[in-house]
Amino acid sequence: MVAAAQETAESAAVRAKARRARDEELLVWPDLVFVEFIAAMVFLLALTALSITIDAPLLDRANPAVTPNPSKAPWYFLNLQELLLHMDPALAGVIVPTVALVALGAIPYYDQSNEGQGEWLSTPNAWRLMWIGTAVGSIGSIILILFDASMHVRIYEGLTHGKWPVALNFIRNARSIQNDLPWPAWTRAIDTNPILRTDLLGLPKMDLSINIPELFVAQIIPISLMMGLPIIFSIVLWKMGEAKTRRDHMIAQFAGFIAVYVVLTLVGTAFRGQGMELLPPWLVKPPVS
Amino acid sequence: MATERPESRSMGDRLYDALFHNYVWRSIFRSGYPNTPRNQMLVVATNVFLHLHPTRIHRTHVKITHTYCLGGLSFFLFLGLTITGVLLMFYYVPSVERAYEDILHLEQDVRFGFLMRNLHRWMAHGMVIMVLMHMMRVFYTGAYKPPREFNWVVGVVLLVLTLLLSFTGYLLPWDQLAFWAITVGTNMVGSAPVLGPPNKFAMIGGFEVGPNALIRFYTLHVIGLPLLAATFMAVHFWRIRRDGGLARPL
Ligand code: HEM
Repeated sequence: MVAAAQETAESAAVRAKARRARDEELLVWPDLVFVEFIAAMVFLLALTALSITIDAPLLDRANPAVTPNPSKAPWYFLNLQELLLHMDPALAGVIVPTVALVALGAIPYYDQSNEGQGEWLSTPNAWRLMWIGTAVGSIGSIILILFDASMHVRIYEGLTHGKWPVALNFIRNARSIQNDLPWPAWTRAIDTNPILRTDLLGLPKMDLSINIPELFVAQIIPISLMMGLPIIFSIVLWKMGEAKTRRDHMIAQFAGFIAVYVVLTLVGTAFRGQGMELLPPWLVKPPVS
Repeated sequence: MATERPESRSMGDRLYDALFHNYVWRSIFRSGYPNTPRNQMLVVATNVFLHLHPTRIHRTHVKITHTYCLGGLSFFLFLGLTITGVLLMFYYVPSVERAYEDILHLEQDVRFGFLMRNLHRWMAHGMVIMVLMHMMRVFYTGAYKPPREFNWVVGVVLLVLTLLLSFTGYLLPWDQLAFWAITVGTNMVGSAPVLGPPNKFAMIGGFEVGPNALIRFYTLHVIGLPLLAATFMAVHFWRIRRDGGLARPL
């Protein structure tokens, strides 16, 4: 008897709760369908207007004998092409995008809590962390790009009207670590051909000899920076008490990633002229053949 | 199915009854005009296109600032690209001899040809942007959290497919822009040690971008990747419903 009474009371509570949830709900027709319809129409009209006013580009017929300078990938891959200027092509073109996509897909498996779910940036520090991540990501990548373009050398020479000290030549840019440091000759060519035999795997014969200075500049430094800087960033946020939960760290890292992505894409698109030289956008001329 | 009539019947309702309450119309649309709650739910539940939605939805999810419609607009652009893409296929032959001339012909001689091509091009760029922004909104609203982990992964696959669709389409006009962009892009793949060169060879069907690359990219662009993308979108939408609609605070 008592149990049954309890049960009806309980199910009444459950029913009441369900009813409250229903009160919060709207009908998809008309409320949602209307919004979707308007959004679709606005986009259709805007895109039609755009397509009437601006033509899709069409250059001369493809000619494998004439290489335009610069040759650029589609804009959404220019971030990778920008990376290509600073590190080993395999790293920039294959490994970084693969790791980035896997890391992106792994976010929900790392941050499994329910905090901050279903509402825009609703955890206590969320907006702050988003802005910190954006600032650190964009400023950091801009500094690294400027360093590799020897901007510090130009600024120094402009300010002092002198020459960059020869002793510091090895930090003119990343490449000069390879070229301007007195590496022993043997480090530049370690013959691995007797050991690493790709032809035994049924692949074409490849020369996988090791050049340590090259390895240093093209792989070790970029990998350390790309892995190390985000880790240091998270440690600093944690020590400062800014980021406490996994969600906090994810927000800062994701915002940083998006900022880096946007900066690299913009630089690759608008700031790279002939020979992929870093230029302000107004000096970037259309490619020449 | 029974038709529920609203209490007071306006001029429009009477007109509607006169025009549409007939045998043929009712054979197509099972419910009456959606001007009562019952019919409004029926119209969503019985229409194959509308039933991608639930019949009811939490009021915060209708607010434009919750989703900015970004996922919906990605899907809308995918549909628009399919329609303009089919029209473009009427005029385009994927051979090195004809591709470029077909595009010129399309722009100069075909009525509204330029509009089709421009729409297709700008929608493709738009879709990449929309999908990226949709991903950001899902992230910042914490909508990847349990039980939606897997749908986030499906989303990442959709992002990759969107980029690949756009990339394969880029080659098809066979102009200098197309040729060199694809050359640069596939060289990046080819630069990977050991596995790079064979992969690049498989992608473009040779050592350099040429007729084989064109037909491969074309086939992937018009049928392979769209089918894959449509399949993953079906999973994506299904999972949204299965996971209890859009994410809500607990
Ligand atoms: C072709 C690409 C895509 C299409 C057409 C698409 C479509 C949609 C649509 C229509 C929704 C409903 C809510 C909304 O409009 O925001 C949605 C939700 C969702 N999408 Fe996507 N999406 C795509 C790509 C992605 C990507 C790249 C991600 C993440 C990496 C993603 C993750 C999600 C998740 C987790 C939800 C559930 C959101 C919630 O519960 O609030 N989707 N998607």
